[in-house]
Amino acid sequence: MDWGLILFKTLVFPGITFLLLVIFATFYLERKLVADMHGRTGPYYVGPYGLLQTVADIFKILQKEVIIHREADKLLFLVVPAVAFFMVALVTAFIPYSETLWIVSTPYDLVISLALLTSLPAIFLFAGWVSKSKYPFIGGIRVINQLISGEIPLWLAGLSVALWYGTFNYIEIAQKFDLIGFLVNLVGFAIFLIAILIVADRPPFDIPEAEQEIVYGFLTEYTGVGYLLLAGAKFLEVFVLVAMTVTLFLGGFKGPFLPGWVWFLIKIFAVYYLAFAIRASIPRIRLDQLIKFTWNILVPLALLNIILILVVKAF
Amino acid sequence: MYKGAQIITEPVGKEGDLMVLNWGVQHPASGPMRIKVWLDGETIVKVENDPGYVTRNLEKMLEYRTWENAVVNVERICFIDDLGTLLNWALAVEKLAEVEVPKNVQYFRVILAEVGRIVSHLIGVGGMFGALGVATPMMWVLTLREFYLDFLEHYSGYRISTASIVPGGVRFEPTKEDFELLKKAIEETERRWPEYKEVFKDNPTLVERYKGVGVIPKELVYKLGLRGPVARASGVAYDYRKTYPYSSYEDFDFNIVVKEEGDAYARFLVVLEEIEESVKIIKQAMEGMPEGDKWKVRMPKKIKAGEAFSAVEWARGGIEFFVVSDGGTGPYRVKISAPSFMNIWALEYIAPGHKLADLAAIFASLYICHGDLDR
Repeated sequence: MDWGLILFKTLVFPGITFLLLVIFATFYLERKLVADMHGRTGPYYVGPYGLLQTVADIFKILQKEVIIHREADKLLFLVVPAVAFFMVALVTAFIPYSETLWIVSTPYDLVISLALLTSLPAIFLFAGWVSKSKYPFIGGIRVINQLISGEIPLWLAGLSVALWYGTFNYIEIAQKFDLIGFLVNLVGFAIFLIAILIVADRPPFDIPEAEQEIVYGFLTEYTGVGYLLLAGAKFLEVFVLVAMTVTLFLGGFKGPFLPGWVWFLIKIFAVYYLAFAIRASIPRIRLDQLIKFTWNILVPLALLNIILILVVKAF
Repeated sequence: MYKGAQIITEPVGKEGDLMVLNWGVQHPASGPMRIKVWLDGETIVKVENDPGYVTRNLEKMLEYRTWENAVVNVERICFIDDLGTLLNWALAVEKLAEVEVPKNVQYFRVILAEVGRIVSHLIGVGGMFGALGVATPMMWVLTLREFYLDFLEHYSGYRISTASIVPGGVRFEPTKEDFELLKKAIEETERRWPEYKEVFKDNPTLVERYKGVGVIPKELVYKLGLRGPVARASGVAYDYRKTYPYSSYEDFDFNIVVKEEGDAYARFLVVLEEIEESVKIIKQAMEGMPEGDKWKVRMPKKIKAGEAFSAVEWARGGIEFFVVSDGGTGPYRVKISAPSFMNIWALEYIAPGHKLADLAAIFASLYICHGDLDR
């Protein structure tokens, strides 16, 4: 075993350094693309094309004083963001950027990723709980609502892919991807896309962070490093979910001519662009409407999708 | 659940039973006012308004002004549509001094007032989307608003707080370029409007969130004296421009936008469709502008003792001034009755029973301006 290579993979690409770059890049792209849909320019002055605006913002946030609420549990308040960040960072280890570029690959990739992602809402609830403040508390409770509505379609749609390809391993799924697989899993793809928007609290399902209702949800009391870690965890969560979508439904690194990781990033960008367009165009829906929507439409559809895949696979 | 409009006056719940949320003063959607919300889980049990954080004592300050330079205070009742309040002040003082302004001034005042209404309503439409967490419509309407602000800037030198309508006429003579800029703004509105309307009006998520939310019955309109788009959305066809025409509004052909449903979506539609009516009025006024080169008549420095009442249909509803003169160079007492202060009290009746998420939607649909809420 080549330890140098493993170290490089963990620390540089696709490890920690790359993850920080992902946070910078997605934040910048989100601002720039949403600004374009608004008819604005977006970041412009700091660096070429405003590229360094996000860097400047992050360093500004790092300078901020860490304010801890008088009633809050100090230790937990400080620990929770770090735990959230490392949990998400753990999931990124499973992402295959190409056939050789990955950190961990096991026969149970998909299940482990889903399990780790499902335990995140509990940490976010905790972040709201230990803040001992009203808006974060409501935000934390709303995260559980997201969990109830989002995770089950996510699991059902994700596992239907494993059912079709007969494996939980990301690399094998990506390698087995073909046109028939894409078409059979099309319904699952749609369900998974909606589910990742719910799970990652993206608009129009950003109910736990609804600014106009509960300020910033469970992030309200956090400042400085704690805020950065929590917000970074949320950004990485979106990235992980998008990467999972690409791997499961769009063939991951598979593609002609270009190297695998280029294809992977192109596909990721396409899914991100869709999420940004949805953010710029659809108003937020209400909490009870979300539960009704997921349990009346999304979950039955996901179950039907599994039956469909079983029937198709049988023939 | 929601049992129709009702107000809860007695104390609710036992101690520790409900969560009391201070929705404001420092809250992204509240503006400078506090709304005390009693919450049972996510459901609103009771709501209490607490305005007064930006009080400027405008009524008292007006007593230290002369008749003409009082405009700087009057236009600050709400900066978003300053022209309506300026028009009302001019009308009140002219009534006191028994001065009649020429027809061309009246027409141009109508143009300015309607530009103020459009500018304000555009922000209102954007704000009602903004309350649901999507910023695109706000950015789009702000782009359109710029064309009107260009006109105002070219005419008066200021984009907002123009101080352009004064007792006795308008401050400056409008030039050809002014009208060209206004024409450009109107053309731009008509060019973009079909797309905007398609995106804004038939937005399925907006309909889902706004329809049937915060219903104000007709009786409540009469009971609380609600005004403007809020009253018109509940089926009360009351508009000072039609019921008590002023400044030659009777010459123009336009409709009062009335909806029967009384919910937040109806209020949104009233605001949206009134922009079209305003565009219609401006076009008629520009075409039928009477000849005349006198844009300001001489006003007396001192006005004889007496009192006058004047009301105009402002963007947010009817605004009313009661002005008393003791024969001096300025007003002895001014009483202002503004629509936002009337409309905000509907919130205490209609919000209970809704979810917390609806509070932002209902609050935005009431179309409040914090400036005239506190004055």
